[in-house]
Amino acid sequence: MSWWRWIGLDLLSVMKDRAIALTLFGGISFYAILYPSPYLNNVPTAQALVVVDLDHSSLSRQMIRHADANPGISVKGYAGSIDDARQWLEDGRASSILVIPEDFRHKLLRGNQVTLGYGGDASYFLIYSAVVQGLTQAGLDIAHKVQLRGLLAQGTNPTKAEKSLDAIALNAVPVFNKGLGYPAYVIPGLFLLILHQTLLIGTGILGAGQWRRSGYWHQLSPLGIVLCRIGSFTLLYCVFSALYIGWCYYLYGVGLLASLGQVLLLMLPFLLATACCGVALSTLFNRRDLPTQILVLSSMPILFASGFVWPLTLIPEPLIWVSQLVPAVPGIMGMLQLNQMGADWSQVLPRWLQLWALLLLYLPLAWWGVKRRLQQLPQVNA
Amino acid sequence: MWQLLQREFQALQRDGWQLALISYVPLLGFLFLWWLFSAALPRQLPVALVDEDHSSVSRELGRYIDANSVTEPIAYTDLQAAVAAMRSGEVFAVVRLPYALQHDLLTGHKPTIDLRYNGQFLLVGKLLSSQLQLTLADGLQQLARLKLLAAGVNPAQVAVRLTPVATQNTALFNRNMNYVGFLVPPMLIALWQLVAMLCYANSLSRELREQSLADCYRLGLLRVLAAKWLFYTPLMLLHGMLLLVMMYGYLGLPIAGNLLWLLPAQLIMLLAVWLWVQAMFFVMADSARIISMCSGLFAPAFAFMGITFPTSNMPLVAQWWRALIPSSHYIETHIALVSHGQGLLTVLQQSRGYLGFLLLLLPAWYFARRYGRTLLPERQTSGVPL
Repeated sequence: MSWWRWIGLDLLSVMKDRAIALTLFGGISFYAILYPSPYLNNVPTAQALVVVDLDHSSLSRQMIRHADANPGISVKGYAGSIDDARQWLEDGRASSILVIPEDFRHKLLRGNQVTLGYGGDASYFLIYSAVVQGLTQAGLDIAHKVQLRGLLAQGTNPTKAEKSLDAIALNAVPVFNKGLGYPAYVIPGLFLLILHQTLLIGTGILGAGQWRRSGYWHQLSPLGIVLCRIGSFTLLYCVFSALYIGWCYYLYGVGLLASLGQVLLLMLPFLLATACCGVALSTLFNRRDLPTQILVLSSMPILFASGFVWPLTLIPEPLIWVSQLVPAVPGIMGMLQLNQMGADWSQVLPRWLQLWALLLLYLPLAWWGVKRRLQQLPQVNA
Repeated sequence: MWQLLQREFQALQRDGWQLALISYVPLLGFLFLWWLFSAALPRQLPVALVDEDHSSVSRELGRYIDANSVTEPIAYTDLQAAVAAMRSGEVFAVVRLPYALQHDLLTGHKPTIDLRYNGQFLLVGKLLSSQLQLTLADGLQQLARLKLLAAGVNPAQVAVRLTPVATQNTALFNRNMNYVGFLVPPMLIALWQLVAMLCYANSLSRELREQSLADCYRLGLLRVLAAKWLFYTPLMLLHGMLLLVMMYGYLGLPIAGNLLWLLPAQLIMLLAVWLWVQAMFFVMADSARIISMCSGLFAPAFAFMGITFPTSNMPLVAQWWRALIPSSHYIETHIALVSHGQGLLTVLQQSRGYLGFLLLLLPAWYFARRYGRTLLPERQTSGVPL
C-alpha cells in the first residue's frame, strides 16, 4: 500500500474515535473562542476609585474631575476618612483610593509642597497599574497647571513658561503590541500551546488505544508506523494551524509581521517535532484517559516556562534546561520573535534548528517505544 | 459505609496513576510553579541604551538607569543593532539619548528622549516603562535643580518649584509588588482544582473500566458516591491546606485574615468540583471523554479567575462562563480573607454563590437513573429509584 493510504487509515481512525475527535475538533474550535473571551476588552478601564477629599476646595474638586476623566479610573464615591475608604475596599465597592490632604489648595498657592496619596489593590497588578498611571497623570496635570499659573503671575512670557516647565520631552511608546492589549499579548503563545497540547493528547489517546490491540498499524515496520503517524498528524494540524494562525490571529488583532513563507517554515519543524514527541509519549500510556490528564496538568507550567509571561532571565537555569526539551517552548518563542516582533530569519534560526534537533531526539525514542510495544503484543495475545 | 471506604482504598492501591495524583504529582506541580516565579521581583532586565550624545548629561542618565535594580543597561553604539536585539527579545526596551542632548538643554531647546518598550511581553514591558520613566525623570530633575539654583532660586524653594505636588503610591495588600504573592496563589489553586477534578473523575471512571458500575447500583449508588466524597474530600483538602501553609506559612506571603477560615471555603469549592465531575460522568459515561470535557471546563480556570485581567472588564459572556468554574468563586473568598482580612461571615456569605452548582444534581440524577435501568433491568419493576 502506498504511504498515502496508511496516512488515510490513520486519519480515519482519528475521526472515528469519538474521544479524539472531541478533543481535536471540539477542543480546538471551542478553545479558539473560550480562551480569548475574558480579554476581548483589551485593556482594563474604569477601575472603581473612592476619594477621600479632606480639602473640599476648587482645586481638589478639579483634581477629582481630572482623575475621573482618565479612562482607567471611574470615581465611585466619596469617603469621609481613610478608615471609611478602607471599608469600601474591603467590601469590594472600590479597588483604589485617592487621598487629597487638608490645605491642598492653600499650600499650593502659598508655594508649599503637598503630597497626594494614591492607593491601589495590588492583589491585581493590572488594576493597580491602571489606577496609578491614571492618578499620576491627573496629579502631574494639576501640578503643571499650578506651576504655569505661578510663572504667568510672575510675568513670564507664556511660551517661555511652557518651555521651562518641560525642559525635556520623554517619548515613551510601546512597540510590537502598540495598544498594550491583553489578547495580543496572550493569544500568540497560548494558541501555539493549545495546538501543541491537543496534538500530544490526540497521538496519546490514539496510541494508548491501539498499541495493545492488533490492527492495520501492525502491518508496518515500527519506523514506518512512526513516520506514518507523524505524517498524518502533521497534515491534520496543518489545517488547525491554518485556522489558528491564519484566521484567529487576524480575528483577534494579533501582530503579524512575518511573511507567509517564514511562518510556514517555522511551523513545519514545530508540527513535526510535536507529532514525533506525541508518538514517543503515546507508547508510555496504557489507558486512554491518561494522556489528557498528564498534558492538562503540564499546560500551565509549560506556558509560564515559555518565557513570554515571566522573563527567561528570571527563571532558574535548571527549569530552562528542562523546558527546552518541550517543542512548544522554542516554538512559541520563535513565533513571537518572527511574527509578533518582526525578527530576521537569522535571529530565529537557533530556535528553528532546535525544533529540528528535537525531532531528531524524539524520532529514535518513538521508534524504540513503538518497537517495544509491538514486541509486547504477542505476549498480550497469548 | 466502612466497607465502602475500604473498597475505595483498595481501588486506590491498585491504581498507580491515582496514587501519584494524590501524592507527588500536585507537589511537583506546586514546586515547579513556585520555583519558576521564585525570583519574585523582576531584577536586572536588559535594556538597550543608545547614547548618541556622549556628554556628561547622557552618561549621568545612563548611570541612573544602571542604579535602578529593575534595569540593566546594555550599551549599543548603533540604533539598528539595538532594534535588532529588541526584535529578537534580547532586550526588553530601548532608550535613545539623542545627539546634542546636553547642548539643547543648555541652550533652552527641548530635546526628546525616545523610550521604546516591548508591549508583546506586557508584564515586563509595563514594568520597564514605568521604571524607566521614573528613573529618567529623577535624573532630569537633578539637572533641573542645578538650572534653578543657577538661576538664583532659593534652595529651600527648589523642591517646590520642581514638583509642587508630590505623590505617595501605596500598593495595598502587596506592598513590594511581589509577583509570587500576586500570581502563585491563583495559579496553584487552579492546579489544585485540576488535580481534584482528575482524582474524582478517575475514581468514577474506574467503575466503568472495571465494569463494576452494576455493583455500585447493587451496593446503593448514593452510598458509593458518598463513600467517594468522604474518601477524596479530606485527601484533597489536605493538599489545599498544604499549599496554603506553604505559601502563607513557609514563604511568608502577607495574609491579613485567619488561614483557618479558608478551610470551609476550600471544602465548598471541592464539593462544587465533585458535582461537576459527577454530572459529566453520568452524561458522558466514557473515561476519555469525561476527562476531555472536564479539562475543557477547568483548564482555563486561571484565565477566568480575574486576577490577571479584572473581572469587571470581561465581556458578559465570559463572566457567565466564569461563574461556571468553582475556583473563580473561591478566589474571591480567598482574596477577601488574605488581603482584606475578612472572617468566617464573609466566607459563608460568599458561599451562597455556589448554590447554582446544585442544579448539576439534576442531569446526574436523570442519567444515573437511566443507567440504573439499563444495568439492572430487574429493578425497574420493583421501582427502587437508584
